[in-house]
Amino acid sequence: MDELQLLKDELSKRDAEIAKLKMALQEKEKQLSLRTDVTEEALKPLKQVNKLSNESISRYSRQLILPELGVTGQVKLTNSSVLIVGAGGLGCPSAVYLAAAGIGRLGIVDYDEVELSNLHRQILHTEDRVGMSKSQSVATTCHRLNSGVEYVPYHLALDSCNALPIISQYDIVLDATDNVATRYLLNDACVIAGKTLVSGSALRFEGQLTVYNYENGPCYRCLYPKPPPPQTVTNCSDGGVVGVVPGIIGCMQALEAIKIASGIKSSFGQRMLLFDAIDGTFRCVKLRGRQPSCPVCGDAPTITQLIDYEQFCGAKASDKDKAMNILEKEQRMSAKEYKTILEEKKPHILVDVRQPVELEICQLPNTKTINIPVSSLQKEEKISELRDRINQLKSNGDDKVPIVVVCRRGNDSQSAVNTLKQQLLDNNIEIKDIKGGLHSWSKNVDHNFPQY
Amino acid sequence: MELNTFANVRVLFFAKSRELVGEKETVINYPSRISTRRILNELLERYNSLSVISENLILSLNEEYLDINDDLIINLKTGDELAVIPPISGG
Repeated sequence: MDELQLLKDELSKRDAEIAKLKMALQEKEKQLSLRTDVTEEALKPLKQVNKLSNESISRYSRQLILPELGVTGQVKLTNSSVLIVGAGGLGCPSAVYLAAAGIGRLGIVDYDEVELSNLHRQILHTEDRVGMSKSQSVATTCHRLNSGVEYVPYHLALDSCNALPIISQYDIVLDATDNVATRYLLNDACVIAGKTLVSGSALRFEGQLTVYNYENGPCYRCLYPKPPPPQTVTNCSDGGVVGVVPGIIGCMQALEAIKIASGIKSSFGQRMLLFDAIDGTFRCVKLRGRQPSCPVCGDAPTITQLIDYEQFCGAKASDKDKAMNILEKEQRMSAKEYKTILEEKKPHILVDVRQPVELEICQLPNTKTINIPVSSLQKEEKISELRDRINQLKSNGDDKVPIVVVCRRGNDSQSAVNTLKQQLLDNNIEIKDIKGGLHSWSKNVDHNFPQY
Repeated sequence: MELNTFANVRVLFFAKSRELVGEKETVINYPSRISTRRILNELLERYNSLSVISENLILSLNEEYLDINDDLIINLKTGDELAVIPPISGG
């Protein structure tokens, strides 16, 4: 009995210690000059100033002497708040220039954490911050550049519930996101809340910039009333992007936000900038104005509150590829099973359906790999090479020729299996894909195999 | 009004349309008097691959927005520049 009581006492003592440590931790977090994990709760109104301190005069002197900006513009900047949605390739450059220019309050929304593959374009994050909240990382870097700005990092995904409470607390919103659903969400929320939306986007070597819902100009829906079919949307992970391209577009978003906040008008209220980094061209297309028939900003709007944007777009509000399940279990093999096939030198044909440029990055250890990019599976000249190989194996006496299809993650390989079946129309073949693709090979078979 | 005149229009493809068509630009011989709807339709007939995004793009003529409409008849002339602009979503 005594022993039992002793254990109980010990336990309550430890509990008290844990509680004390938790308190101390909370206290320490509060002391940090930067906020963490802000939610949609209301912020205190931004403190309004009507003159600049001597320090501000020195710091901003090079822009203060511009007659278009001047002290009036700088005071306006100091009294303005900007919300950047997306702390990635667009959000980083826009945040750093808004911070440098002395915007009063900078909100940064991102649900995601820093990954190594972000760093070539998301230039405010650092190697030692892999795994850290992106919004926090941006706030931390910008704080070092200009501690006079108030930073509000939101480590959350913007959705139909929190978008309006957050957006309505800011003067200008920057769309620096990476997916269609959030773009429509932001557009509608900005129209409903009466905010200007400085929208940028980038992919591969191309960038676009427009300012929506600004001085009777169009909103995103006025131009693009219908979301694109999900299968036609390419993200940076699949399409690739040169870091400087979102860098340039993000800088221009900051510039337009600074112009609007300081009282200089935006140049893109009814214009779209098209940037082509390969040709080195900037084109500007004059857009139509606000559409009276627009369902959200028109004269008789049908969308007066936020809807379900993932449903509307038929796609998730993120740019992460999710694993698809197109094929039956028996049409797939694991990376380990394929390793066995290689080790036992079983006759088979390996079809890699990635783009040729991706095969230069890494390939499975099979010297006879046939490369047919998933976009070329319908092309007869590609298929005929495969047919020749099948016939070769058949003449060796193998009755069911095994074909193994591989791609980066195991999505394209599944649709490729179906396409190849239709193209080949051969009952004497057996086509399977490698589940999880090269990522699974790297994870489960060869840890030294690169992942991209 | 002459009926059989044509114009060589330079067509520029941006973003997804560039990928689907497989080229950055081309020249299309359009009738000089044409509805803006037909400008798009002829483009879609020539490039079937574009049909998947036919409702998700804007057109511009000489860097001005072009309303796609059956009733809107415009004059095209050789050297005009038509741009096909779907939105980019990434960032």
